[in-house]
Amino acid sequence: MKYLTDYANIFTRYDLNIEVARQAARKVSQDATLQKVADAVVQGEEEDAAKLTKEALQKKSPMDVINEGLIPGMNEVSRLWDEGVYFLPQVILASDAMNAGIALCEEKMGKAMDKKGKVVTHTAEGDIHDIGQVIVNALLNANGFDVINLGADVPVDKVVEACRLHNPVMVTGTALMTTTMTAFPKIASQLKRLGQNIPFVCGGGAVSEEYVTSFELGIWGKEANQAPGMAEDALSGDDWQAMRGKWNG
Amino acid sequence: MRVFNHEKPDRMPCFCVNGTPTYEQMEKVGAYWPEGHERAEDMAKLAIAAHTVLGFDAVRAPFCQTFEAEALGCTVKLGGKENIPGIDHPTLYKVDDVPVLPDDFLKRGRIPQLIEAVRIMKREVGDEVAVIGGIIGPFTIAGAMLDAPPILKTSFKTPDKVRPFLEVAEKAGTMLGQALIEAGADLIAVEDMQASPDLIAPKTYRDLELEYQKRQVEALGVPVILHICGNVDKVIDFMHQTGCAAISLEPKSDTELARRVMGPTGIIIGGVDAATTLFLKGPDVVREAAREQIEMGLDILAPGCAIAPGTPTENLLAMVEVAKEYTHA
Repeated sequence: MKYLTDYANIFTRYDLNIEVARQAARKVSQDATLQKVADAVVQGEEEDAAKLTKEALQKKSPMDVINEGLIPGMNEVSRLWDEGVYFLPQVILASDAMNAGIALCEEKMGKAMDKKGKVVTHTAEGDIHDIGQVIVNALLNANGFDVINLGADVPVDKVVEACRLHNPVMVTGTALMTTTMTAFPKIASQLKRLGQNIPFVCGGGAVSEEYVTSFELGIWGKEANQAPGMAEDALSGDDWQAMRGKWNG
Repeated sequence: MRVFNHEKPDRMPCFCVNGTPTYEQMEKVGAYWPEGHERAEDMAKLAIAAHTVLGFDAVRAPFCQTFEAEALGCTVKLGGKENIPGIDHPTLYKVDDVPVLPDDFLKRGRIPQLIEAVRIMKREVGDEVAVIGGIIGPFTIAGAMLDAPPILKTSFKTPDKVRPFLEVAEKAGTMLGQALIEAGADLIAVEDMQASPDLIAPKTYRDLELEYQKRQVEALGVPVILHICGNVDKVIDFMHQTGCAAISLEPKSDTELARRVMGPTGIIIGGVDAATTLFLKGPDVVREAAREQIEMGLDILAPGCAIAPGTPTENLLAMVEVAKEYTHA
């Protein structure tokens, strides 16, 4: 009969183990240099990512460095975030590292790379509680979207103007208070009037599904985590009705 | 208070660790925002409404998270009649700056008014209910000084650079807490929203924030309630290690896990989600949610976070009724 001498791994909740964060990227590239670029992104080392990108650019094309090093590295970060291994600071640091590399590649190409699409983000007029938006920005950036960050306490007209100027695939609004979320239907109706039927994801604090789905274009965002998935849907051509059908109700 | 003295209360207590005012309470007691954030008399009136209007077993001030930050030099936007004050941009410091704790910290901003409000609360209802003084945790004050993205990045990459800010932030909170105790606070509630795993890595909490929280809890001579928003399962053990008497949870955290970590003597406060249930649903849903959470091992029934100002009074009364069902005869 076998006796158990070590109980350490019994009744242990693995999701509460916080030390696994120290892991390197999975193998994402056959090329050793590009793998190093990806590793630097996963580790959120901006300077290393820049240095290694420069080295990689000696023998690889900018698009190869982006598509086989920087972006696969960031995809690893998204996976680690989804699995609860990575936390927000690591995601922000990794985005910075990826963007530093991308800037060098763009310099070499002489033009900006085609990002997935633009997303305009803002926190409602009168509201300066923007922590929710900080999370949304970080996750959208991490997933390759071009984030037009309007910041906190943004007037209705400024949001509408930014949408007109940038023609984003999606626009987001966060609000802590029920008193400031009243800006959202105003933005939606102005966008509608201008013929800009952009999916408008609203969330945060006391913003309810019932409220957001009471006006056209509105899609309720329950958690900041949903932002990248929603942006992907918008990018693939889903309109606001389709997105509302999928994410709400 | 009996619960905090580890005596048996006659029934389950019910109050709120965070801000309590609602528009309906404002109408009832004739004190409003923004004066309730600025003037001692209005602040005390609004705080006391939690007992006189709602029947809570404790009263609490203030109703926002900006007092320490403002006295340290941050710009505060009060938010008028309807909104909760917040810290305005641009923020006070950059990561490489040296933060300063002003000598006259307790005389700055709205702090003297807050101290006076607690004095009034103690005088008016101190014999009937517990008086809670609210302060803000080190990481959250440091976050107000630096803004979120910079402090989050620095906390992970070069944590030592955050230490001077945590040092000042902890001292600021502790000084305010001690002043509130002197004015009559029976308990201190520490809100440390930015230390949530929704924002920082749990190991940052353990290796950086915990030390300052411990220091703070030790320096405050009364029982401390620690409140952190979001799901705190990953840091509940460290929250317990701060030495706080009680932990206040949102329902998205695992109450049963908290009980295992804290043992039979740790006090768990929590219950009903402040936004999705108390604010948006009706009394029946509130009652059901409250009972479900109590069964998981709560000592004190409370909203999971600050009460949204638009919350209907009937929902809050429903919560108090449920607490009354749980007698310890």
